[in-house]
Amino acid sequence: MITVEELEGKQAITWCTGCGNFGILAALKKAVIELDVPRHEILLVSGIGCSSKAPHYINLNMFHTLHGRAIPVATGAHLVNPDLKVIVNTGDGDGLGEGFSHYIHAARRNVNLAVFIHNNGVMGLTKGQFSPAAQRGYVSITSPPPGAPMWPINPVALAIAGGATYVARGFSGNQKDLVTLMVEAVQHRGFAVVDILQPCQTWNRKLTWKFYNERAYSLQEEGHDPTNKMLALEKSFEFGDRIPVGLFYRSKLPDLASGLALPKDSRLRDHETDRALLQQVVNDLIL
Amino acid sequence: MDFTINTGGQAGQGIDTIGDLISQVFIKTGFYVHVLKDFESRIRGGYNFNQIRVSDSPIYAATDKVDLIIAMTKDAIIEQRSRLTEGGVIIFDDRIEFDDLESCHLSVPLEKTAKEVGGSTRMTNAAALGAALAVLQFPFKLVVNALTAKFERKGEKVVASNVAVAKALYDLTTEQFSGTCSQNLSSVKKGPSKDLLFINGNRALALGAMASNVKWISAYPMSPSTQVFQDIVSQAHKLRIGTLQAEDELSAITMGLGASFAGARSFVTTSGGGFSLMVEALGLAAITETPIVIYNAQRPGPATGLPTRTEQSDLLFMAHASQGEFPRILLAPKDPVEGFEVATRAFNLADKFQVPVMILGDQYYADSMMNIPRLDVTGVNVDRGSIATEGPDPEYLRYKLTKDGVSPRAFPGDAGKTVVNSGNVHLENGHITENPDLRNAMVEKLMKKVPHILKTLNPPTIYGKKIADITLLTWGSTWGSVYEVVNLLNAEGVSINQLHFCDVYPLRTTTLKTVFKKAKKVVAVEQNATSQFARLVRMETGLSVGHHINKYDGRQMTAQWVMTQLKEAGIA
Repeated sequence: MITVEELEGKQAITWCTGCGNFGILAALKKAVIELDVPRHEILLVSGIGCSSKAPHYINLNMFHTLHGRAIPVATGAHLVNPDLKVIVNTGDGDGLGEGFSHYIHAARRNVNLAVFIHNNGVMGLTKGQFSPAAQRGYVSITSPPPGAPMWPINPVALAIAGGATYVARGFSGNQKDLVTLMVEAVQHRGFAVVDILQPCQTWNRKLTWKFYNERAYSLQEEGHDPTNKMLALEKSFEFGDRIPVGLFYRSKLPDLASGLALPKDSRLRDHETDRALLQQVVNDLIL
Repeated sequence: MDFTINTGGQAGQGIDTIGDLISQVFIKTGFYVHVLKDFESRIRGGYNFNQIRVSDSPIYAATDKVDLIIAMTKDAIIEQRSRLTEGGVIIFDDRIEFDDLESCHLSVPLEKTAKEVGGSTRMTNAAALGAALAVLQFPFKLVVNALTAKFERKGEKVVASNVAVAKALYDLTTEQFSGTCSQNLSSVKKGPSKDLLFINGNRALALGAMASNVKWISAYPMSPSTQVFQDIVSQAHKLRIGTLQAEDELSAITMGLGASFAGARSFVTTSGGGFSLMVEALGLAAITETPIVIYNAQRPGPATGLPTRTEQSDLLFMAHASQGEFPRILLAPKDPVEGFEVATRAFNLADKFQVPVMILGDQYYADSMMNIPRLDVTGVNVDRGSIATEGPDPEYLRYKLTKDGVSPRAFPGDAGKTVVNSGNVHLENGHITENPDLRNAMVEKLMKKVPHILKTLNPPTIYGKKIADITLLTWGSTWGSVYEVVNLLNAEGVSINQLHFCDVYPLRTTTLKTVFKKAKKVVAVEQNATSQFARLVRMETGLSVGHHINKYDGRQMTAQWVMTQLKEAGIA
């Protein structure tokens, strides 16, 4: 059992006061404890942005990578050592902008990762430009009035359509459900996404705590059937006076690792190529 | 004895299989063979050729002249006939309408005979072989032995059909060909060869990587590198290697970095355009000190350039790619034998110094085939470099400051250790810092590796006399043609040698400095427009190369071409 003390971060937190990331970090710590796996078997991989600093604030294996590239780095690490529980911390700017093609291809591969999208609809760390998840009309320094001239990306719908096999939405302000979704996402074998709504206190005047508190409702409390893909898709387009939170869709399909030439009884990281077999390959090429 | 056969036709006509069969028969009967592959970026049609040079002594490059042309299309006659030597012969398939006939031309039913005698146009290669060998008066009995050896795994019937098709054309050609070919092989004395591989640079690299225990390769297909990826994928199930065709090159290399971070030797393969996409992650590999081996099979750029042709124009790009400053290693094998050895060294260097190692090939290196001795994969030394002691260590520091800049690696999943990697400037424990002293310490940590790398890399090689009036300066795949120039000119009494680099960066300068002191003329011979290696030499030594020979039409330089350039420039 991992203790809270063991997870204590080695680095002072740099997020703004009231940031939605605090809720996500708190939930992540609880989820890690609840997972009940050895601490060294957890790996956090992040991109760039406020979201992606999260791994520095929890004492676990981690790789803080490049803007948008967390998913392929995580994919490589997972396939080389499938014993690892690999979690990706990404933001909407990071994973749905620069990293979007990796996101959709990872979904189609059903690679066994848990992706937590810290979704605040704004580019926080670069000081408030509109992000891929910003609402149409969102006014920022790079989208002066009448505001962002495009609709936000829909990570839930795209994950479902793309082939992800666990797709949920959490809210930084609802710890209890968020922890459950995180635990389930990590335990799920396949590509699992939790789109986490989080206010950016400093920049986003629209997607605030109040905004979400007034609109978020639980899919599960309303009896949503997460095995119904079309229904899940339909729900994923609901984003207005009411915003659904919880598990949209879950299915069981072979994951990427099961389709690759991985060692049967060990891991690539420890596996040694049989030189005699390789010499046979060479010998077969002899004229 | 040294002659060249050119087999040409459209893409999809089996030009490679004709070339392969002819080459294999000559190798089986004891000759040295070098094959240049020239093709267009298309699936069907166009004009492609294999140029097969055959000799009774070792050869390392293609030549300009052709002694025998085997044409499957009219283009294959027209495009090549100006290169035909005196006494050369052109054989072409009788379906080609061509009336500009000369005495050295011979029209024979290649495809027709393959179909009628062998039962399939797939045996056109055996037909072409029969016709070619008849013109050369090569004893048919040797052909039978070679064909038997080649096809016996496929069964007696396949052997018999191929022999029958070859024999039919051999007899027909002997009967119909009234000219004399400049080459007469009727009294060849070569015995059958043993233990030879007929492979190209790409395949040698793939074998070298697999022998080095590569456990991860991710790539996006890109000519002329793709074969390396395909070769490894084709053995993945047998040898248990993780392989993935990624959505783009940036994904390919970042997957490779994730795999390497988690403990597997990782490899990515591409060409210059794909490497352009990878550059962002090159910097990540560098700052996180994650070993990775990158293969760039160069082709003429910029942008799409000439997708299936050759150039050495990415050297300075690769030596300086990415923002920031960090050590890296560049290796440029000259031929398949060296390619195998370079691959095995590349993985050891990457692990030992925890830096990106880049292998620079080019289309000529990648695709040209030659016979080489059997490769021994069992004796390859695998050195994973500095690895942290097993067992719990709560104080483990991934970036521990050490004397030589290299810190012991641990991997996520190692019990009792926490491994922290960051692309930000970091503390010894891997977490972010903006402290100026630590920034200095981390930059110096990386730079400390350079002198150790230089000591480990191979020095350049001088071919010819140690001191000469003229020194030709080369790197990578142009070695063979220039080596031939040195031999030819030495025989004419010219004082000339060659200083050749395989390990191109960081640059070892001792031999260079001596050569610059002793030689009257130093000539850079490069397959690019701007003498990139000569520029690198000046950057690293302050020494200027006085003469430049550059080729950038996408076709590999030959010895004859280099000699003409040397003469025209009044150098030799």
